[in-house]
Amino acid sequence: MGSNRTGWLMLAPTLLILGVFGIVPFFYVLYLSFHQWNPFAANPNMIFIGANNFRRLVFDGEFLTSLWFTLKFAFFAVVSEIIIGYMLAQMLTRDFYGKGFFRTIHTLPLIVAPIVVGSVWRLMTTPSIGIIPYYLNKWFGYQLNIGSDATAAFIITVIMDIWHWTPLVTLTLLAAIVSLPKDPFEQAQIDGANRWQIFWHITLPMIRPAILATVFIRLMDALRTVDEVWMLTGGGPGAATRFVGLHIWKIVFPKTDYGYGSAISIIVLYLTLVMCWLLYVGLVAPRVRRSKVNADA
Amino acid sequence: MAEVKIKDIVKRYGELQVIHGVNVDIRDGEFVVLVGPSGCGKSTLLRMIAGLEPISDGEMLIDGKVVNKVLPKDRDIAMVFQSYALYPHKTVAENMGFSLKIKGVPKPEIEAKVKQAASVLDLGKLLDRYPRQLSGGQRQRVAMGRAIVRDPRVFLFDEPLSNLDAKLRVAMRVEIKELHQRLKTTIIYVTHDQIEAMTMADKIVVMKDGYVEQIGAPLDLYDNPSNVFVAGFIGSPSMNFIKGSIRSDGGAQRFVSDHGSVLPVRPLPVSDGHPVIYGVRPEHITLGPGGLPVRVAVVEPTGAETQIFARSNEDAIDAMLRDRIAVRAGDHVNFVVDPVNAHVFDQQTTKRIS
Ligand SMILES: Nc1ncnc2c1ncn2[C@@H]1O[C@H](COP(=O)(O)OP(=O)(O)O)[C@@H](O)[C@H]1O
Ligand SMILES: [Mg+2]
Repeated sequence: MGSNRTGWLMLAPTLLILGVFGIVPFFYVLYLSFHQWNPFAANPNMIFIGANNFRRLVFDGEFLTSLWFTLKFAFFAVVSEIIIGYMLAQMLTRDFYGKGFFRTIHTLPLIVAPIVVGSVWRLMTTPSIGIIPYYLNKWFGYQLNIGSDATAAFIITVIMDIWHWTPLVTLTLLAAIVSLPKDPFEQAQIDGANRWQIFWHITLPMIRPAILATVFIRLMDALRTVDEVWMLTGGGPGAATRFVGLHIWKIVFPKTDYGYGSAISIIVLYLTLVMCWLLYVGLVAPRVRRSKVNADA
Repeated sequence: MAEVKIKDIVKRYGELQVIHGVNVDIRDGEFVVLVGPSGCGKSTLLRMIAGLEPISDGEMLIDGKVVNKVLPKDRDIAMVFQSYALYPHKTVAENMGFSLKIKGVPKPEIEAKVKQAASVLDLGKLLDRYPRQLSGGQRQRVAMGRAIVRDPRVFLFDEPLSNLDAKLRVAMRVEIKELHQRLKTTIIYVTHDQIEAMTMADKIVVMKDGYVEQIGAPLDLYDNPSNVFVAGFIGSPSMNFIKGSIRSDGGAQRFVSDHGSVLPVRPLPVSDGHPVIYGVRPEHITLGPGGLPVRVAVVEPTGAETQIFARSNEDAIDAMLRDRIAVRAGDHVNFVVDPVNAHVFDQQTTKRIS
């Protein structure tokens, strides 16, 4: 009994912080999402309107577009990060000249705040002063202007996210790769497998849990990207890079439509959960179930 | 089906040389055991045969072709690792069928082969399990099964039984030997256990510190060990060794230990006073009148045999007697050695003097 109470006491600070900064705001947002509340509108009072905010969402073209862009953004960013991150991780398992230096440099983006990343990329991509448009023009004769070219702006946001977050993927996958047992790989060589077959039949299935965990983390993160893109493009040109996070920001801050903003937040959270659940059901659960059945047999 | 020729093979890890010019000829269908204490380079040699470890110097030939630069996947060799090296994410059936799947063998044929190997190894009920759901002995059999479905040119085994309990080890020893008699494929088998080597091998290669000490048939090594190391390594309980010299004093040659124990020898081509090590196996000592008087220190009856640990002056000698004998600690008895069974080694070189 005594030790039980000590346990709760030790947990108390964490629970308190979690409660104050996590759970309470969540329920507050949930509460708001069922109300109409715009403190600067003609009627600044909070009015309960049931699920009307959610109904409004379904017909909100701007929201649906931003959702579609966000999904595209998350897909391209996460897939590229996993592929590039895996290749870099494989490279880091070998010895090459300057490996320590490379590893340090390569991890640096992780410690840069998103807002700074956005500023730096904005500087680098601004026509006539940025290094990227300069060289693209010099080498390929391509005029990069993310202020007017929607596709280019979208691609640059994806590249920025890749630049920022690939190191995280590299580190998690590297940890997974170096902790793999060595023997199965030698056995696979003996069994006649070539490099590609070893990758496909041995490496990939063995680091699959790490890959899935990384995909979950990166996906959730990418779906709520705000600050970097806000800094880089401000959501433009037009609404080409106005991802859901930015959309919510626009609704909540300049428009001060708190009720509707809360509803969007809740829906985005819900969609994120659904996507992760689908991934889990599709990729993780069948394995777990299969081995359970075997264990019972 | 293949013969393997190991020619002046050297292995270096950077500056450190661990294999120093090893030569072994392995005939087609032969069961060869590499035996030696831990760290002598057996696994390294085996891994060089498999192609997992680059060869620093010398030549490796399989069926007359130099394979130094041939990748493991192209050597058509099956190997059973000490750790079994099962694929953790594959079922038993998938583990066993993997090499065939890679080769592009049609599915029904793979299934048939896996089933057949599984029935030989009594794995039929476990085909859908994952390695983590198996006991050590079952994993070992899966590793064996993975090798035999392939019908390779050579089987390599790296201490496959050392993680099993004693009883299972003996059973698997018999199974592997039967497997060899049935398949007649060349087997190169690594172990540190000389009993495994003696019971399974057509030919034993005794290694120590990266050198080959002796190559021969099991009983050959037992009867004619070429040096003190092999003499002590082969046979259990291990041979008695006593330091001393050869004396004749005008009469017949005999061995006199540093502490004065006298034992008989066959005529030897050495001069009087030559320093030697005298070796005699415990099972070659009998009790009798005459011989060497000893004082019994410890008696260990095992039922079938009686082992006597005794001392003559300061020399420790033990004997393994076939019968139950009523001696007790403190008794005085006489140890008789037939000079035919005496092994005499040069003290300086530790080589056998014949
Ligand atoms: N990768 C390596 N680097 C350096 N030394 C090694 C390496 N692998 C093995 N050795 C050394 O080579 C010697 C032989 O090792 P091994 O073949 O594993 O012995 P055994 O299998 O006979 O026990 C040992 O002294 C070991 O320390
Ligand atoms: Mg070894």
